[in-house]
Parts: sequence; structure tokens; C-alpha cells
Amino acid sequence: MYDNVIDRSKDITILELLDRVLNKGVILTGDIVISVADVDLVYLGVKLMLSSVETMEQLKAGKGIAEK
Amino acid sequence: MNDLIYAFCLTTTLPELNRKEEFSGLRCIASGVFYAVIKMVPESEFSEENLKKNLSDIAWLDTNARMHVKIISMLMEDYTVIPFNFGTIYLSEEPLKKFIGDYADSLIENLLFVEWKEEWAIKLYCNHDVLKEHIDTLSPAAAELERQIMASSPGKAFLLSRKKAVFIENEIDLLCKKYGQEYFDEFKKISHSTALNNIVPKEYTDRKDEMILHAAFLVSKDKAIEFVSVVRQMKNKYAGFGFNVEITGPWPPFSFISIKEKQ
Repeated sequence: MYDNVIDRSKDITILELLDRVLNKGVILTGDIVISVADVDLVYLGVKLMLSSVETMEQLKAGKGIAEK
Repeated sequence: MNDLIYAFCLTTTLPELNRKEEFSGLRCIASGVFYAVIKMVPESEFSEENLKKNLSDIAWLDTNARMHVKIISMLMEDYTVIPFNFGTIYLSEEPLKKFIGDYADSLIENLLFVEWKEEWAIKLYCNHDVLKEHIDTLSPAAAELERQIMASSPGKAFLLSRKKAVFIENEIDLLCKKYGQEYFDEFKKISHSTALNNIVPKEYTDRKDEMILHAAFLVSKDKAIEFVSVVRQMKNKYAGFGFNVEITGPWPPFSFISIKEKQ
């Protein structure tokens, strides 16, 4: 089986998830929809978050070196 | 109050929604040959205003986007599904039914295309530093330049080395294209259809290597094991040159459905 090469949820990043669920599949003009502008904002938010996580990790890494 | 209709996907077989705990709260709306799998959701989260607010809440977005995929994926284990975009919400059943009626032909065409198939996502990365270490083996032209450098006087060797450095940058790009194509072609052989996705820039991947291919493959369910096995073989084939393959799936066929309702 192929279960061990796939993690069905945990390893899938939010970006990969959003790349599939936003703007793909059947796109309806429902009564309430996520507009293109909203999608841009969503990506911006996620990217900001990712960059800050990265920054935090870099800081952590730097701290680790300093402690040695 | 759960007043709003959140649409997950369409099926042509009435799904048995009482079989799994995760399906709790789901129900179907029948229209023509289709069943829309929906859930009643609260205005406190999904009204136009509240949905917009929640979209900027990463934790909420993560939970709900994962839930969207999870429900559709679980239904996909037993039924062919046409997935809806995340966050498609109706105030009443009528407009959803009208859409299904208006787009019935196109929906059936799409359903037949993805029937008994699933989407697998492939991301191919290349570590340029590792690839550079093997440049003289992989590129006859680079090897020839190296031979000339070795045979030249120090002054000429210096100039040739600078020429080689520029040459290598181009050669790395060509090698990434060549090997990227080889990976893609191998995976395509076992697929029904393919779709290319945007490359994710390095600053968002949290990796040291570059993404050089991001593609989706529509694979028959009975070929999924073969597909994954080929991915594994290819993962090892050029790993020494700095190539790395990541696979996720099976996904609902999001990348292979293209129906956009006209405004």
C-alpha cells in the first residue's frame, strides 16, 4: 500500500490546501462567495504568517548558536 | 441558528451519510441526476461579513479548508464527486438547484472525465548546489571547459573559469528543464490527464532547494498504487544529483474540474 508516503492531512501545508480549494473545482456564484479580492487577501495573510514563522525559526536558530 | 447552506460537492449516487461519524450534519439536495452534499452552517461564521472576517483568521481557515477537503475525500472513497470551491454558500436551495439544472450537460461531462479517478500532486525540487557538484558528469560542454581550464596557463585558466561559472548557471537551468520533463513524462504515462500548478517561491516553502515542477495528475483509482510506486522509483533515481520529489494525495479532482458559473 502507499499509506507510508502520504500523510493525508498533517504534512499538507495550508498553501497547498488553499491552492486546491480556492479557485478550483466548481466555482458557483453562490449567495455568499469568496471574491477574487478576498482570495488575494487570504494569500497575503497566509504568506505573512509563513514569513513570520520563518523569521521566528531563524531567530530560534540564531539563539541556538549563541548558546553554544 | 444554522441557516446557511454550505455546498461541498456533487455526486450522482445518493451517498449514505449515516455511515461515518465525520458525515454528521451533512445532507443531500437532489436536483436532476445530481445530489449536492451540503451542510447547514451558522451565520455567526458564514454570513458574508463573518466569512470575510474569518478568512483572515489562519486557524479558522486551516480548520475549515481541511474539513472541506476531508469531507469530499471521504465521499470520494465510495462515489465519484465533483468538488465545489471552498466557501460556496447559499441562503436557500433554489439557486443551487437552478445552477445544477442550467449546467447539467457540462457537469455530466466533467463527472465522466473524473469518474473513478483521483488527483495526485507532485512537487519536484532541485538543490542547485548539489547539481553543480555533478555538472562535469552531466554536461559534456562543462566537462570540456574544465579540460581546457586544466590544460591552460594560469591567466587563461582564470578567464575560462569565469566563463565556466556563467555557463554553469545556464546549464543548471537546462538540466532542471531536462530532468523535470523526464519526471513529468514518467508520471504522465500512468495518468489520465495532467495540470500544471504555480511554482511556490522559495520563501514560502521553508526549504533550501528550489521548486522546479508543481503538477497535478489525474490517476485511475486502480492505477494509484502503480503511480505511487513509480514516484518512489523516480524519487531515488536522481536523488544524488539534488532532485527531490514530494507527493501528496489522493486529492479530490479539484484541478480537473473547470466549471465557472456565469455571473
